[in-house]
Amino acid sequence: MTQSSSTSTGNLNRALLFFLIGTLLGLALGVGLHTAISGGFNTTYWMDIPSWMLGLLLGTLGFFYGLLGYYGIVRGLVFQVVGTLAGILLVSAIRAALGLSFFDPAKFGFHEGAWVFGALVGAVAFLAGVGALTDWWKWAKGEATSDHHEDVPGWRKYFGVSLDHKVIGIQYTVTSLLLLSVGGLFALLFRVELAESGLQFLTVLTPDQTAALNLYNSLMSLHGIVMIISILLGIAGVINYLVPLLIGAADMAFPRLNAFSFWVAVPAAVILLGSLGLGGFDTGWTGYAPLATRAPIGIQMFYLGVWVAGWSSILGALNLIATVLRMRARGMTAFRMPILVWASVATSIISLTATQLIGLSFQMSMFERLFGMPFFNVAKGGNPILFQHLFWFYSHPAVYVFVLPGLGVISELLPVFARKPLFGYRWVALSSIGIALVGFLVWAHHMFTSGMNEYLRVPFMYSTLLVAVPTGVKFFSWVATLWKGKIEAPTPMLFVLGGIVVFLMGGLSGPPNATVSTDLHLHDTYFIVGHFHSTMFGGYVFPFFAAIYYWFPKATGKRLDETLGKWHFWLMTPSFLVLTLFMMRVGLLGMRRRIADYDPMLGFDPWHLAMTIAAFLIALSVVIFFYNMVKTLRSPVTETGNVWNSRSPEWQVPSPMPAHNYEKEFEVVGEPYDYGLPGSVYVKM
Amino acid sequence: MTHAHTSQHAASHGSKDALFQGLVIFVLLAFLTAVEFFIAITNASVLLLSVAALLKVGMVVYYYMHIYKLLEEDDEHDHSSFAWKVATNRLGLWLFLLSDAFVFGGMFVARFNLLGFTRPHLNQELGLIVTSALLISSFFMNRGETQMALGDRKGFLISTSITFLLGLAFLLGVVFVEWPEAIHEGLTVDGSAAGGIFFLMTGMHAFHVLTGLIFLLVILRNGWLGLYSPERHWAVEAAAVYWHFVDVVWIFYYPALYLIGKAL
Repeated sequence: MTQSSSTSTGNLNRALLFFLIGTLLGLALGVGLHTAISGGFNTTYWMDIPSWMLGLLLGTLGFFYGLLGYYGIVRGLVFQVVGTLAGILLVSAIRAALGLSFFDPAKFGFHEGAWVFGALVGAVAFLAGVGALTDWWKWAKGEATSDHHEDVPGWRKYFGVSLDHKVIGIQYTVTSLLLLSVGGLFALLFRVELAESGLQFLTVLTPDQTAALNLYNSLMSLHGIVMIISILLGIAGVINYLVPLLIGAADMAFPRLNAFSFWVAVPAAVILLGSLGLGGFDTGWTGYAPLATRAPIGIQMFYLGVWVAGWSSILGALNLIATVLRMRARGMTAFRMPILVWASVATSIISLTATQLIGLSFQMSMFERLFGMPFFNVAKGGNPILFQHLFWFYSHPAVYVFVLPGLGVISELLPVFARKPLFGYRWVALSSIGIALVGFLVWAHHMFTSGMNEYLRVPFMYSTLLVAVPTGVKFFSWVATLWKGKIEAPTPMLFVLGGIVVFLMGGLSGPPNATVSTDLHLHDTYFIVGHFHSTMFGGYVFPFFAAIYYWFPKATGKRLDETLGKWHFWLMTPSFLVLTLFMMRVGLLGMRRRIADYDPMLGFDPWHLAMTIAAFLIALSVVIFFYNMVKTLRSPVTETGNVWNSRSPEWQVPSPMPAHNYEKEFEVVGEPYDYGLPGSVYVKM
Repeated sequence: MTHAHTSQHAASHGSKDALFQGLVIFVLLAFLTAVEFFIAITNASVLLLSVAALLKVGMVVYYYMHIYKLLEEDDEHDHSSFAWKVATNRLGLWLFLLSDAFVFGGMFVARFNLLGFTRPHLNQELGLIVTSALLISSFFMNRGETQMALGDRKGFLISTSITFLLGLAFLLGVVFVEWPEAIHEGLTVDGSAAGGIFFLMTGMHAFHVLTGLIFLLVILRNGWLGLYSPERHWAVEAAAVYWHFVDVVWIFYYPALYLIGKAL
């Protein structure tokens, strides 16, 4: 024990050293290249964002190399870098052979097509390097592979390909938390700029005002999309870890596809963040044409990163549906499935199908830039509204992808802590499916002011308001479950209750945006921003933290510190309420969204300052949470039993969960949520 | 259990009737394609063209892709058994096709959003020829899969090779004959939205044909090496179902690009 922990401390020190060396090396390389290309040195080169991105890339590579040696993710990243360069050089060579221009120092060196192709090759190379394709390659050659792969013991297995759904679930969750920090950091940066009218802060980081405005736009756009990817990975983490345990399966239906789904998201994240090094993009996360056709090359990395990450979502959803349909324990009929399983299926129906449409819209916009295909160019018979239709066909249902698992977690945890049966189980189960299906018919409510055909407005208004019905079912169920319950409130329950309150605010601020007449006023204001953040925090962030606090003992055998957990909750909740309510207030008074500066005469300065302080307090609460995790992980195993006195099968076996889940299959013999009813049994182990 | 399942599996293919059924379906498909062409040059009724396309797709999905196997009674509980794995793989494949159908559906909708009931001016004979090549390839694919189930390895290799060659002919026909001709006629990649959507739809479909050809190469190689048996040839079934799916897409895209609407 002492030996292994001292070795890992040694590794960590080496990793940090290599991180420093890699970062400096990348930065120097970037500045050197800039000097070579422009033929002279200038001290402002040390502020180049591309050089810093190169430094971060090499630093990350160095960090993992110091930690692991040439293994797993390190191999993947090396392959990705080499693959990207190979792709770039191939396209450049072809362009040179055809007599076309292939080098332009003013536009990040290579032609846009070379960058895009290179990034795509890099993503595939990453997957080959990390080893996510190895078994499939063997299958194509007709070689058999063994059904069970034993992981190496210890923490190294988390940094390479593992087929165990529990390892993959934790890989997803940790990656999600990392991206959450990155996305949050972006938000803090532009929130500082917004604290006061005028431009003060980003101008310090950049050589001139245009660059500062570009940086603001890129940070704001990246905040959106990085958070979205983080959420997608977060729900994938929760689903991957829990659903097989809840239904009594040994693993997911397709373990290799499961590993692929996780690992494909890693190069996607690298590509996405790489956009910052290629000029960023100024379109917001929506990437609307025709603005997108004029954005810097960074937008191509944004499109491609999302496109690649989309495969993670699609294939993960496919796997989940197959798992639930094929691998449930004996006796687990549809209406004896836990609500979280219902919610995961509902989410997966959307991810599996609709994700293809955002992929298509981004692909079309990429092709418009690369090949001049004028899909969205009115002068050549194109239609920019088409982009919005294709984009929102996914991107609205996507918010249900984000919140349905979270709402499932709420329904899952409430009966445990209220010691009462879940009220209206069947209705709650079906409400998830209802939200998912109605969600397919509402997308154009994002386009009331876009200039689409006016006769489309009213039907989309009504279909959108219809979503309130199944969502209302959930709220009635939660309130009725709490009613006269013996409520206990440890940290997970606090986050569940906080989630309900915040999601209610998100829900109530929704109808004004869905109603055409009021939306014409509210569209593109901070009111929408406040509404959206309420739904995301209430439907995802709070339940996600609740799930981590609740299932952490299951995964590790250690319980997160209650005091620090309460600090986390009581710091985050009021701060978030200030943030979102002030957003809605300034929005109602006319504060536009997505802008770096605002008129001081509007009197929004103090409100924005308060929002910025609130944002920093939220960040502080998350730092406390991270500290809690590290502190708890370093403590010895203490909680091996049924920590929360739950009826669910995963708590009836020892923690941490054994490698192949249940030693013997269990049988479902009763209802899942009959808490407090004497003599009722859910599973027979 | 496993034995009973296998014999039931063999029974669904286990006679020469299966080969004959494939032929009948092909004749019907060919007839409906001729009818489509006739409708297009006479009254160009969108309704009739849609009905013909839906009939064709229904036949391919049921008889060639045997979608009904998804609903076959399966009480196999042993998750390491071959029968359970094949049934699960089949479900996974169909879920993937459902997902993929949304991309093709999106482009199909985009085509009508951009062009309405007009269509680019294209070489009709060429369109009919490549369409026929793909349709005939589906017939041979079905024949190859059936022959494998009947234990006729040589027949499987011949039929699958013909499928491969026809698929290759389709791919080369679209990319190296149809595309240059369209560009020559003024339908360029960057000239108009019509050109853009034409190249996007045919290009994305051609990409799927290309991946299908790679899968065919894999099963040809492994079939040649004798790695498949009448009882165990999931890879053959998967490649066949995928190949027919690519055909199904073209059954919609052919009228959408060549037949429906007024030529520009």
